[in-house]
Amino acid sequence: MNRNILSVENLSVSFFTSAGEVKAVDDVSFDVKKGEILGIVGESGSGKTATMLSILNLQGENGKIKSGSIKFHDNHDIIRGKNISMIFQDPMTSLNPVLTIGYQLEEALKRHKWNGNIRQRSIEILEKVGIVPAVQRLKQYPHEFSGGQRQRIMIAMSIICNPDLLIADEPTTALDVTVQAQILKLMKDLQIENGMSIILISHDLGVIAGEADRILIMYAGKIMEHGTVREIFYNPAHPYTKGLLRCVPNPDKPKERLIPIEGQPPDLLNPPKGCPYVKRCPNAMKICLENKPELNNLTETHGYSCWLGVKK
Amino acid sequence: MIEIKNLKKFFDAPNGFNKKVHAVDGVSFNISKGETLGLVGESGCGKTTLGRTIIKLYEPDEGKIIFDGKDITDISPKKMLPFRKKIQMIFQDPYASLNPRMTVGDIIKEPMIIHKIPKNLHDEKLNYLLKLVGLNSEHSGRYPHEFSGGQRQRVGIARALAVEPEFIICDEPISALDVSIQAQIVNMLEDLQKELGLTYLFIAHDLSMVKHISNRVAVMYLGKIVEIADSSELYSNPLHPYTISLLSSIPVPDPDKSKKRNSIVLEGEVPSALNPPLGCNFHIRCPKAKPECKNFDMTLKDFGNGHLCSCKFV
Repeated sequence: MNRNILSVENLSVSFFTSAGEVKAVDDVSFDVKKGEILGIVGESGSGKTATMLSILNLQGENGKIKSGSIKFHDNHDIIRGKNISMIFQDPMTSLNPVLTIGYQLEEALKRHKWNGNIRQRSIEILEKVGIVPAVQRLKQYPHEFSGGQRQRIMIAMSIICNPDLLIADEPTTALDVTVQAQILKLMKDLQIENGMSIILISHDLGVIAGEADRILIMYAGKIMEHGTVREIFYNPAHPYTKGLLRCVPNPDKPKERLIPIEGQPPDLLNPPKGCPYVKRCPNAMKICLENKPELNNLTETHGYSCWLGVKK
Repeated sequence: MIEIKNLKKFFDAPNGFNKKVHAVDGVSFNISKGETLGLVGESGCGKTTLGRTIIKLYEPDEGKIIFDGKDITDISPKKMLPFRKKIQMIFQDPYASLNPRMTVGDIIKEPMIIHKIPKNLHDEKLNYLLKLVGLNSEHSGRYPHEFSGGQRQRVGIARALAVEPEFIICDEPISALDVSIQAQIVNMLEDLQKELGLTYLFIAHDLSMVKHISNRVAVMYLGKIVEIADSSELYSNPLHPYTISLLSSIPVPDPDKSKKRNSIVLEGEVPSALNPPLGCNFHIRCPKAKPECKNFDMTLKDFGNGHLCSCKFV
């Protein structure tokens, strides 16, 4: 459980657009241990997806890793491939509509030189994710499946080569709650069965609370806080984390007025000099405008990056 | 204020054969003045169609829509105009529901022109509305692309309020927004309701937000209402097996509680509305289904205090 399979250090990624340089990921460090589910929470534009795409070296033509290192099993080489796979948010657009799902499943096996019966493996994996009768369904096209089934196929495709790490980028956001519950259960079962690690990206704090072992909170390309699931939910330290937890209604509690976080996230074309959260933070101080806060460690597993509570 | 009686809306199936999509299949409820009725259900259950049929963007096939005591089911579009002024709608997607070539000022003024509000009042109203939704008057000359999602939704709300409506249909007004922005919009909708005495039909699939904002909640499945009750009653004492499993699958933002909870994971997915199951339309996925369910006509039974449920075995 304690071995790191992925470690990311001081990663900065920028996208170069016609309007200028967008600093999507800014000095991000974290690691993923074997067999754990790491949850990443953040609003749109907080750099969650950009970080993950850079790990897979998929950041695109105008994206550039400016600094930092990514190590997978102590190995610096390009790590895309059969050991890390990714599920995307939208199962409708991530499957090729003109190829049968059998073809698309087998493609991954052929590409990664699976030594075994390719056909048999496809059937086995499709049954595992609950798409039956697998033999017939392999011949069907994506449009013959519902949204939840397509996401199951995406999951099948991503675990078909037995990866060590699965990156799930908002895997249930496009799905209904009852189907979401099915997909989350399936992912958890597969994770326990195969002992793989999962990075689960979501903006739904409920999903993260139920699934993750550890959590990273991202905002404007930076990690604001990290800790175990209990540390983040029961003892949040960063004002942003506290704000986020306050603005979702808890269905088990009587009605109270919601406490929103006022304002908008900053424009990453010209990010603020100090802490990116300063404009929306109820505890903002002078120092926050000028200097970027350092990471303070509260426990071995819990840290936050804020000037609050720092002794000078 | 609004009374819906046995409303039905069918669409022709895309490839003919006289098949109909039973989008809204016999829905009845009423909403009193100043109330918020939440409407929840999975995608494809007919929530949006119901909202659009009430405002007569779709012509209903059967049933009655009564607004303020007047039957508006069959009146001509011309006669509908004064009612349109009283019933407005806020749409789901703040990116698609604003014309990108119009300035925010023109977008908000457009309903005033349609409803012939005297021109000399337009600017004053515009400034008042922008302030009401937390924007300022400098924003009126800008175009939608210059705004963030939350701000665009504010523009959509200002447009809906421009003709002083009494009843607003909010069709998933927050589902396209970030968590921190959702709370801003929900609080604003609540403030506006208090200030202007508005009545809402709040359509959403986020069950915890619906509980928060609604006085009563109706649960819809495949074109039919399966349960309707006071929101705290519905969440603490759900009766229909569908409501029970729906509520048990809401992710709770509390790690200890969510470990303890036994959520009921429903098998399968919502069947096609082209060919809804006979009898109780939920019996295929229902964990408590019995053979008799195939012959049950799903009438809502009253369990006291306005708690209605359509399950045979409750």
